[in-house]
Amino acid sequence: MVIKLSNDRVIPWQPTVIAGPKQALLVTPETAELMIRKSKRPLLVLGPLVKEEPLLSLAVGIAEKWDLPVVTTGDAYKAFREKDLDSVAYGAIEIVNLLKDPEWVGVNGEGQHDLVIFLGCIYYLASQGLSALKHYAPHLKTLTICKFFHSNADASFPNMKDEEWLKYLAKMAGQ
Amino acid sequence: MAPKPKDMKDDFWKSKDIKISIGEIEEKDTKKMGEEVPMGPTPKPHVTDLRSWDMKLLDRYEPFYAPFCDMCCLCTFGKCDLTEKKGACGIDSAAQQARIVLLACNIGTAAHAGHARHLVDHLINDFGADYPIDLGMNIDIEAPLIRTLMGKKPEKLGDLREVISYVEEQMSHLLSACHTGQEGSSLDFESKALHSGMMDDLAREVGDIAQIVALNMPKGDENAPLVELGVGTIDAKKPVVLCIGHNVLPGAGIMDYLDETGQEEDLEVCGICCAAIDVTRYNDRAKVVGPLSKQLKFIRSGIADVIVVDEQCIRTDVLEEALNKNCAVIATTDKMCLGLPDMTREDTDKIVSKLVNKEIPGALILDSEKVGEVSVKVAKILAPEREKLKFLPELDEIQKMASDCTECGWCNRVCPNSKPMMEAVVAASKGDFSKFQELYEYDVCYSCGRCEQECERDLPLMDFVTKVGEHFVKDEKFSIRAGRGPVQDVEIRRVGAPLVLGDIPGVIAFVGCSNYPDGGKEVAEMAKEFLERNYIVVATGCGAMSIGEYKDEEGKTLYEQYSGDFDARGLVNMGSCVSNAHISGACIKIANIFAKKPLEGNFEEIADYILNRVGACGVAWGAYSQKAAAIATGVNRWGIPVVIGPHGSKYRRLYLGRADKKDNWKIKDLRTGKIMDGEPAPEHLIYAAETVEESMPMIAKLCIRPNDTAKGRQIKLNHYIDLYKRYFGVLPPDINLFVRNDKDIPITHKKEVKDLLEEVGWEPREIPQEPSLMGLDGD
Repeated sequence: MVIKLSNDRVIPWQPTVIAGPKQALLVTPETAELMIRKSKRPLLVLGPLVKEEPLLSLAVGIAEKWDLPVVTTGDAYKAFREKDLDSVAYGAIEIVNLLKDPEWVGVNGEGQHDLVIFLGCIYYLASQGLSALKHYAPHLKTLTICKFFHSNADASFPNMKDEEWLKYLAKMAGQ
Repeated sequence: MAPKPKDMKDDFWKSKDIKISIGEIEEKDTKKMGEEVPMGPTPKPHVTDLRSWDMKLLDRYEPFYAPFCDMCCLCTFGKCDLTEKKGACGIDSAAQQARIVLLACNIGTAAHAGHARHLVDHLINDFGADYPIDLGMNIDIEAPLIRTLMGKKPEKLGDLREVISYVEEQMSHLLSACHTGQEGSSLDFESKALHSGMMDDLAREVGDIAQIVALNMPKGDENAPLVELGVGTIDAKKPVVLCIGHNVLPGAGIMDYLDETGQEEDLEVCGICCAAIDVTRYNDRAKVVGPLSKQLKFIRSGIADVIVVDEQCIRTDVLEEALNKNCAVIATTDKMCLGLPDMTREDTDKIVSKLVNKEIPGALILDSEKVGEVSVKVAKILAPEREKLKFLPELDEIQKMASDCTECGWCNRVCPNSKPMMEAVVAASKGDFSKFQELYEYDVCYSCGRCEQECERDLPLMDFVTKVGEHFVKDEKFSIRAGRGPVQDVEIRRVGAPLVLGDIPGVIAFVGCSNYPDGGKEVAEMAKEFLERNYIVVATGCGAMSIGEYKDEEGKTLYEQYSGDFDARGLVNMGSCVSNAHISGACIKIANIFAKKPLEGNFEEIADYILNRVGACGVAWGAYSQKAAAIATGVNRWGIPVVIGPHGSKYRRLYLGRADKKDNWKIKDLRTGKIMDGEPAPEHLIYAAETVEESMPMIAKLCIRPNDTAKGRQIKLNHYIDLYKRYFGVLPPDINLFVRNDKDIPITHKKEVKDLLEEVGWEPREIPQEPSLMGLDGD
């Protein structure tokens, strides 16, 4: 019960994914946007948890507003294709494996990405992927814009209810 | 315990294959334990003897690490934070992950080796060390793993002792490597994990062969009987004894006592997890409750009067849960004593008296015959008393309690699958139990009970799920084919060529536990899909049970719809966890029987053959245990890829190939001696998929092998393309990597594939005749 007395918004959504002393920085949409602006080769990774509306349109909106190359994981590819969003399909594990290789050429062949934004991957699987990048990909930063706090990311939205989260995403999509 | 006749016969005399088998059986070696045989390079390999093979695998399938914990807390230097730092002992994060994986594999291997040691010693005690290992006329290669790794053919039960002693010796070395200040290389830790997994495979073969021959379980019988599966098959009006775990001996003791005393119709004996499968292999009157995901719900239902626990995968709070239901617990092995008094040497009636009078909370009885008598007697006394008890709240009581929910949401947060428990409680407070029903069906909630412990109102949420589920219990009547054990040599002869050449698109093995992301139905649906596509589908353990819990529109389970043949469209339940050894065993037999590769001491040539030519893929969609880690790592060393569910990412390590690195896929054609460009086949050795939809095309893809014929490759690519298009809506973007020349292109997708090939600038390439990793750098 003690754990619940502290700030719920920055306890990992599944609290036992806490891995160690290094924790993600809590960010707002404004800070997230700054990270994207600062990045030279960002990448948006969209998972199967955002393949339905209204999240689908918001994710498309974010990709389009920031002109982000997109990777879709799980079986998310089809839903985004039907929304006319170009993406490259990889397994969540496969794309993380590529991202941790500093020599990888990136999804558009222009070089390894320096910022990876995750949205909609299964929480505990994403947490493992973020952990891999935390430990073995010092060449890039990770940002999660799910409605769950991801302690293994470099920066994360807090835990939120749907209403607040949709507002965050809409803001990032410029809507 | 005396050997006894059983209902299940081998029936090989009426096999349609008997004529073929006699005509084709070669009098292969008759090497016995202790006899001199032409020996390959690595009999009884020590930890480092197969290191060069491991490094070939690890070079191509580089370990992918995803730390579950940033720190190491194994010695008093620590805790050490390994995030971009080394620990006080000098270990880095990658080596630490590999070390923990080795530790997990060692735990899993020790569980199987301890299990096998117990079986072997017990059965030798009962039947004698000279009891013959005879799996019938259709199985000449009775122990492919033992033959390959020990370099000998086991003739009698006593020979299995030498094998298990070898495993135990290797385990000591492997476990010692986990100590602080020993191994420092992640790759060498991985090589040791692969060795540990292979020892696990060997131990499982020992355990299953021992119980098959001594307890007269089905011996590769494709017509093994259908046995009853599901909570609804259990007559709760009778006294009920529940066996949980993996060791058949206590359950066999119960069945024997019932038979000997003529009470077989008076009691229900049922099981959860692999104990259920193995007791039904011993006696098909026993019933299978279901996979591990049923455990807490079934205990909470109060149906069982006595719970007999043996070893592995049992809830460690089983005693507390059972006592809450006025149910007696009997622990039966040294692996799980639960703090109970050792009553092994006590008079049987005295133990019964103490248990029913609650003088002791439960009993430890390390004698399976005594377990049989005590459990039956206690169940018969407790059942009428317990009949009057109420074990679960009524629906109106649930509604009232549910109204206390504060909607804090922590039940959802601590759920491993983030299932909507809070929403179910809120709905129940309004009299709507449909959301609980959704959690109950197909074990979407696998009743770990974390939510209940977190609830600030102490709501008994598992009781809620169980009570709502009661309404459906009467419909939970399924069937599962009793575990048949190994594949027959005649079956290998029949499918060897079509499998190696690719005409049968692959062998898919659904194995492992029930830590599913979204219930067991997904596994059944996967099995059904590949059965309909002409694959050979094999199953073991909880996976085999989940497959049985699915019925089609006509009310038939997959076991009723498909034969138990090891052939295209066959659904083969091999048995329990230990029976997984027969899956790698079948692949080894293909190398031996079909390709005439010698087995004895010849690991690397056999593994190389399997990796490059046998289109087999394991699927452990709900893998959770250390045993599953050992099993997967073991089959990986033999060259068999495995797909695991998303929770499998928590094992911390996968073996992933890089299709984009052309040089990683070089192979040698043993026929010409030429080193040539290969293809990413199989692309990964162990891979965690996020969703079923992602896993299906991946499984089909991982059955592709470099030596497929053009016809075989067309068939395999057709399935890969078809599944990919279904779930992704487009052609697989990597299809060009698997088309070697025009003849490989499936006719039904010819135009679109050709268009894609043209778009990416594809060019045909040479096909190796005998693809191999042997003879590359370092050899």
